Amino acid sequence: MDVLAGLMQGFGVALQPLNLLWCFVGVVLGTVIGVMPGLGPPATIAMLLPLTFLMNPASAIIMLAGIYYGAKYGGSTTSILLNVPGESASVATCIDGYEMAKKGRAGAALGIAAIASFIAGTVGVLGLMLIAPPLARVSLAFSSPEYFALMALGLAMVVLLGGESMVKALLATLVGLWLAGIGTDLFSQTSRFTFGRMELLSGIDFVVVAIGIFAIGEVLANMHERGGAQAIPVPRGVRNLLPTMQDMKDSRFAFVNGSVIGFFIGVLPGAGSTIASFISYGVEKAVSKHPEKFGHGAVEGVAAPEGANNSETGGALVPMLTLGIPGSGTTAVLLAALVLWGFKPGPLFISENPAMFWGLVASMYIGNVMLLILNLPLVPLFAQVLRAPVYVLYPVILGISVVGVYSTSGSLFDVWLLAGFGLLGYLMRKLDFPSAPLVLGLVLGGAMERALRQSLMMSDGHLSILVSRPVSAVMLSLAVLILLIPLFGKFNAWRLKALK
Amino acid sequence: MKALRADFWSGLALGGLGAYIIVVASRWEYMGQDGPGPGFFPLWYGIVMAVLSLMLMVSSVTNKGTNAIDWSGARSAFVAWAAFSVMVASLPLVGFVIGFAALTLFIVLVMYRKPLKVALITAVALSAGFYLIFPLALGVKLP
Amino acid sequence: MKKHLLCAVLLASSTAFAQGFTPTRPVELVVHTGPGGGSDVLARAMVIMLEKEKLLPVRAQVTNKPGGGGVVAAAYLAEKKGETHTIGIFTGVWLTNPLTSNEAKVSLKDLTPIARLLLEPAVIAVKADAPYKTLGDFVNAAKQKPGELKQSGGSITSRDNVVRQQLQKATGTRWQFISFPGGGERIAALLGGHVNMMVIEPNEAGEHIRAGNMRVLAQVNETRLAAFPNVPTLKEAGFNVTPVPQVRGVVAPPGIPRENVAYWEGVFKKLSQTESWKKYVEDNQFEDAYQNAAELTKFYEEFSNQMRGILQEAGVKTVR
Repeated sequence: MDVLAGLMQGFGVALQPLNLLWCFVGVVLGTVIGVMPGLGPPATIAMLLPLTFLMNPASAIIMLAGIYYGAKYGGSTTSILLNVPGESASVATCIDGYEMAKKGRAGAALGIAAIASFIAGTVGVLGLMLIAPPLARVSLAFSSPEYFALMALGLAMVVLLGGESMVKALLATLVGLWLAGIGTDLFSQTSRFTFGRMELLSGIDFVVVAIGIFAIGEVLANMHERGGAQAIPVPRGVRNLLPTMQDMKDSRFAFVNGSVIGFFIGVLPGAGSTIASFISYGVEKAVSKHPEKFGHGAVEGVAAPEGANNSETGGALVPMLTLGIPGSGTTAVLLAALVLWGFKPGPLFISENPAMFWGLVASMYIGNVMLLILNLPLVPLFAQVLRAPVYVLYPVILGISVVGVYSTSGSLFDVWLLAGFGLLGYLMRKLDFPSAPLVLGLVLGGAMERALRQSLMMSDGHLSILVSRPVSAVMLSLAVLILLIPLFGKFNAWRLKALK
Repeated sequence: MKALRADFWSGLALGGLGAYIIVVASRWEYMGQDGPGPGFFPLWYGIVMAVLSLMLMVSSVTNKGTNAIDWSGARSAFVAWAAFSVMVASLPLVGFVIGFAALTLFIVLVMYRKPLKVALITAVALSAGFYLIFPLALGVKLP
Repeated sequence: MKKHLLCAVLLASSTAFAQGFTPTRPVELVVHTGPGGGSDVLARAMVIMLEKEKLLPVRAQVTNKPGGGGVVAAAYLAEKKGETHTIGIFTGVWLTNPLTSNEAKVSLKDLTPIARLLLEPAVIAVKADAPYKTLGDFVNAAKQKPGELKQSGGSITSRDNVVRQQLQKATGTRWQFISFPGGGERIAALLGGHVNMMVIEPNEAGEHIRAGNMRVLAQVNETRLAAFPNVPTLKEAGFNVTPVPQVRGVVAPPGIPRENVAYWEGVFKKLSQTESWKKYVEDNQFEDAYQNAAELTKFYEEFSNQMRGILQEAGVKTVR
């Protein structure tokens, strides 16, 4: 189907007043959900399914998709303001975003996040529109060795996030890998590290760990017995509450980087927005002229991951709509919704349902615009949240954390885990262990182990499969290089010192 | 000296974890008929963990650097954490709204030494806020 | 005085209840997957059908209790002893988990059976450009290169592997099994040419088969499905293998009164006879396999014994 003709048809569907309304409802709902940590798009979409039967399917999918990418916009809000990641993809945003907030630049951070999300989201839709079917076929060539290499590359980025001590960063990563392994092993169905507890059979939910370590750890670290009224400065004046032209200039590469990396990683079923955001962050830091600013409030450090996790939505829809293969929890629910309405997502979906597909694509453009318009003016408003006195803010953070965690699983055990990880987060801060690597290890650990074992099964036990295939060989070499860079740096420094 | 000890202890703790992982993982199947078993991956990262912990401990002893660990505020942090844990423990009994109100009261009163009136208002307002937003407006269950 | 009055009222109302149970508050339908998972989708469809066919006087809502592949949901139901307004959707894993997992302390025997509703058939599929036109071709190829061909599937206790174990035993061949966590990834592995064959439910692979990307070699079923009239069943293809069914049905917490059980039984029996149900079954390529509570109990035993034997032969450690 001719792309332009399809798009025309799509806008014809998407611009109908009813569908515009549903799009708006979807993005607003999505933003609200994104802001609440723990509450995620899959559960919300599932709850709204009965409602969707009253609408026609095109409107319904427009609304549900709006929730999907709206949530990505919203997720950055709590990450930046409260250091509470709204979902796994927002963890990377916490790193520099919260630092910016602490320096009084919360408004700029939120603004850049919105802008980056808009640009990347639009690129993602463009990609979906233009290259979806051929890209899907190419993505099938990506298999376990490549996934393993990709995860290894992501973990090698840990070195760039590592701060001072590489040893500590690696140790944190390993703890993350261990945490990821808690649960039932997929292949053999043996339970590992579950200490006989039924609640640990499916492993520890990422949300629990991330909120515990980041949010609660932060609150604990800032407890003083005599209260300051306001811990975080919020500058006055609208001018200071939005990103400056310098910020935009600094972020130009980040916009591109986030959009492209996010989209392509999103296309791979099984690789998600978390790894997209971290790789994008890592790449941005690697090419930056002043990498030491990262982790202390570099605006590109917000723009890159935020962009990545938004264009990932476009990417993730590629396998879902062209192959019927969901790439993430949210796309799985969207897929289930399509099936419930009587559609059969698969290779023939686009050609047999052009109105649905193009209507969805067009509405995504519109949705992105709506979100930008919604979010930018709200930025100064959100930034005011930080004006609240600390003794109000911190209990709120604790409360939101508990509610967020409980809402995902309904289990009190998880709330206890939250408390435990909160303590761990505090200790890590005091002992100078970086927390981002632990979180990354947790997110990637399961998938990485599976990919490695699958690869070895495919090659009958020969590790060479990882380097005999071109794509995985390239990525693994990059990973190794990245790990070696700091060693070169130290070697150089030692050499210079010796020469003196 | 305090700094060195800190890294040493964390290295020791992590080394202990690494050793534990190695022991448990070696009890599982390392290489099955079809491929690597459940013990494969944990064994390897357990080994790396143990090695790195050792490196950390060694470097903490030989390092001449002095990055002191700032233990100030630790007491308040632990107290706050204890309060939080008490709240979590009380959740099955009194539910979120009351538990949270109590925690807020404690934090404002004890941690920040604000007057009782302020503490009460904050506690009530915030708990009410949570109750309104979450179960009523969004339909999210509170513990 | 008030107390006596209260007792009298309660007694009166309970005898009224004893005559026939009807739900008076929303009914909870427990599933063991998260939103979007197999049981969740089925449950939501059921809720819609129950409403449409007016089979329940109250609302029904789905409660997700994911974890441990059914263990958490089963434990949740077991805890709700005597609760009359909660039921759960079980699948075959609820039966196999207790066999292999120490933590799975609750088996279906501890819960109240209500009905068996569906069987999920499966087909054996290969990529469309593979050199195998029949299952026999695949098996012969496996014979020539033992342990080299690969199958993608779920965990080793899943039906995919059970079929593999049975076929391997019946033909004396061997091929590898590579686990992937989701149907999507398994299909991607097949379509990408990284594995040679898979056992897959027709509703998951349906579109790919229709598009011509996948070819079906055989069906794992006793009789031919309507959607695959030209594909031989395992027995027809010459393999002496009794397919182990993948089931879905309804259970309730333990300790509920008999009228309650009878009520649920009635509801689901009626559901299985409605047009919307029949259409749902057909659309999703399931097989209607209604069994009432008594038959279901017998089925548990047969199924558990069959699975135990197969798992032990496959080298999986069984704990019960």
